[in-house]
Amino acid sequence: MALFLGAALVAAAVILFIVQPVAKGLHASLEREEDELTETEARKRVALLALRDVEYDYLAGKLDEEDYRSLKGELTAEALAALEADERARSGAAGGVDEAAIEAEIAQARLGLREGAFCPECGFANEPGSRFCSSCGHALQATAAR
Amino acid sequence: MTVLGEFALWIALPVAIWGMTLGFTGGRSQRGDLVLSAERSIYAVTLLLMLASAGVIAAFLGDKFEYWYVASYSNRELETFYKVAGLWAGQRGSLLFWALLLSFFSSITVFTNRRKNREFMPYVAGVLQGILTFFIVVLLFAKVNPFERLGFAPANGQGLNPQLQNYWMTIHPPTLYLGFTSFAIPFAFAIAALLNGRLDSRWITLTRRWILLSWFFLSIGIVFGMRWAYEELGWGGYWFWDPVENASLLPWLTATAFLHSIQIQENRGMLKVWNMSLVVLTFILTIFATFLTRSGLIESVHAFAQELRIAYIFLTFMGTVLAGSVVLILYRLPNLQSENRIESFLSREAAFLFNNLILLGAAFSVIWGTVFPLVSEGVTGQKVSVGPPFFQKVNFPIGLALLALSGIGPVIAWRRATRRNLEKNFLTPVIAGLAVVAVLFGLGVHHPLALTTWGLSAFVLVIIVVEFWKGTRARARIEGEGYAVALYHLVTRNRRRWGGYIVHAGIVMIFVAFAGAAYNVDVRQHVMPGDSVQVKSPFGHTYTLTYEGLSTSVGRGQRNLMWQAIAMISVAQDGKHLTNLTTEKRQYVTSQQPMTEVGIRSTPAEDLYLILSAMDDMNGALNADSSAQGIDLQVLVKPLVGWIWYGALVLTVGSLIALWPSVEKRRVAEAAPTGESVAVGAD
Repeated sequence: MALFLGAALVAAAVILFIVQPVAKGLHASLEREEDELTETEARKRVALLALRDVEYDYLAGKLDEEDYRSLKGELTAEALAALEADERARSGAAGGVDEAAIEAEIAQARLGLREGAFCPECGFANEPGSRFCSSCGHALQATAAR
Repeated sequence: MTVLGEFALWIALPVAIWGMTLGFTGGRSQRGDLVLSAERSIYAVTLLLMLASAGVIAAFLGDKFEYWYVASYSNRELETFYKVAGLWAGQRGSLLFWALLLSFFSSITVFTNRRKNREFMPYVAGVLQGILTFFIVVLLFAKVNPFERLGFAPANGQGLNPQLQNYWMTIHPPTLYLGFTSFAIPFAFAIAALLNGRLDSRWITLTRRWILLSWFFLSIGIVFGMRWAYEELGWGGYWFWDPVENASLLPWLTATAFLHSIQIQENRGMLKVWNMSLVVLTFILTIFATFLTRSGLIESVHAFAQELRIAYIFLTFMGTVLAGSVVLILYRLPNLQSENRIESFLSREAAFLFNNLILLGAAFSVIWGTVFPLVSEGVTGQKVSVGPPFFQKVNFPIGLALLALSGIGPVIAWRRATRRNLEKNFLTPVIAGLAVVAVLFGLGVHHPLALTTWGLSAFVLVIIVVEFWKGTRARARIEGEGYAVALYHLVTRNRRRWGGYIVHAGIVMIFVAFAGAAYNVDVRQHVMPGDSVQVKSPFGHTYTLTYEGLSTSVGRGQRNLMWQAIAMISVAQDGKHLTNLTTEKRQYVTSQQPMTEVGIRSTPAEDLYLILSAMDDMNGALNADSSAQGIDLQVLVKPLVGWIWYGALVLTVGSLIALWPSVEKRRVAEAAPTGESVAVGAD
């Protein structure tokens, strides 16, 4: 008898537990959370990490100057493309596409690159002449290998 | 309790089917209530399987021999420890145990993702419940129900196979099962990605830790099995290319390939179809391994099952998974295009790709060698067994190529390596490797395979050490840190990379040990008390082993033990007494054959391994007849064999470093990834 009761109790509890959401209309979220990386963000991140890796290889003495420059040039171009794509995706999601703002940012990024203000730590494109990265606070004159 | 457990197993089936159905339909129709119900059903199945497992353990502890499973794997005299382990001692219990572990991992996945990665979760829940459904169906309908009754209650059980009454054997299968079952999580996310259309690297990022965890458990599970064979089987080896050993090696090979190829997808957006295929293949191989070991299809020391119906259920499931995955991948093919191409054969991408091809080659050769005897038997009726020579011939070159790549891969440049780059990074290691070969050759090591292995090992180790050195130096210089602090920061900033190097070092140590087998010494001699055996070690010294005589006991000692005969041997090295070793024959009440317990003296350089091969007159010896003390003594000297276990330890340390959760911001503001590892994981 006790056995039968135990079995009935387990079965009832299980059924109640799994049927309740459907019966009572409890919902699990199916939306992407705010702080989750989107596809373009993920790609941007990978591009920036690749840049940082090349930086590390150079500083650790694994790449010589010439190889470093050619790789870095390529990676920078890719990172820029990824930044643009992400920017487009984001403004697309927010509604209207602010072309002018994007253009301005890209121009700034390009300028930053030329002036060497592209942060080696986090990849943020700083305004020319910056001494510290506006994004992560890293000192821009002394580059670090991480 | 046991009856309740049986009941719980029956309830688990409809609950799992419910969860599978609602997971898929909820994902398709985007209905949150169905998805919530599916996720809750995973917790419910976990609870029910826990009840079922508790039921089995209760039956073991209560000596309920009316259950076939308990009667077959236990008896009253069995130690409590092994009664609890009875849950995974035999086929039926271990299938339940498999499902239980999977349900644990599924619950962890559902719980940690209850508020994130929601776009994946409906299908993840559906896939996981699908796998659980399969195992519950097997348990209930494949004549392997652990709750099956005999119809009468024998006075005592048949007891546990004495070879399984060993510490390593108790932890070896659960460790492997942890590896097998945890791989279902990456598989579920991969299928979810195919279903929801999010086909970038997200599913990989989310399951990276699971992949590593699974790989780690598989690795040490295999090493535990080697250790068991080495200590317990009594023939001096640790690997015999036994079908069951091969079964555990197969998913390890493809999981290793996967672990490397996902890095290319994450970094370069390539190999998307390949990675999908590998995750499916590895998952199927984990099921295949379970099938081989637990269906009795292939005879071996491990496989002690006879039922065939289970084979058809397993094959159907594997076929369904394969067909379904292939259809899904084909359907999504347009979205699985590579974002980049391989630019040069001299690049890290290419090195990783070679590594993948070689690992797959190894996997297929092992599958072939394992399955061929079956096919042959099916076609010709003759059972042909493919012995170690086949596997060795195929896998020695494969192993050496992998060893070389484990050094080349981490340092060669991404995209394309220039000649300058190669010279800068490989000149020193190559010279070091050649120097080691030259020195060893001078010392009299002329075995080509061993020389190559040790040369390559030196090459890889130097590369790893130089990597650490360069990284630490650069960091110390730039940040102005001391070397110890710099090293610590270097590793903690990119655990995956540096942990991976340490794992490589562990693998190299294991290879060094494998090559030592080229210099194994094997002497077998008949001895009477007082006789000595001289054995020369490849390191130059000579062991003198003096047989002191047999010590016998009948009907005493450990439970379930009928008699034992212990040969006492005193060991001297170059005339100086070292130690005393014993090796014995013992007979358990539960087995027909006497078993051998070996005596091992381990040093980092070599193991001295003694086997009591045969007794002249067993009955005489047991009756303390002093003239019946003659034995056949087998003496093995196994150089470097201990480095397998040291290497496994290093591999563990490296894996733990790579797995250690980094305290990392979920996402860093505005394109500013300051940390090394992207920590947005499903862990």
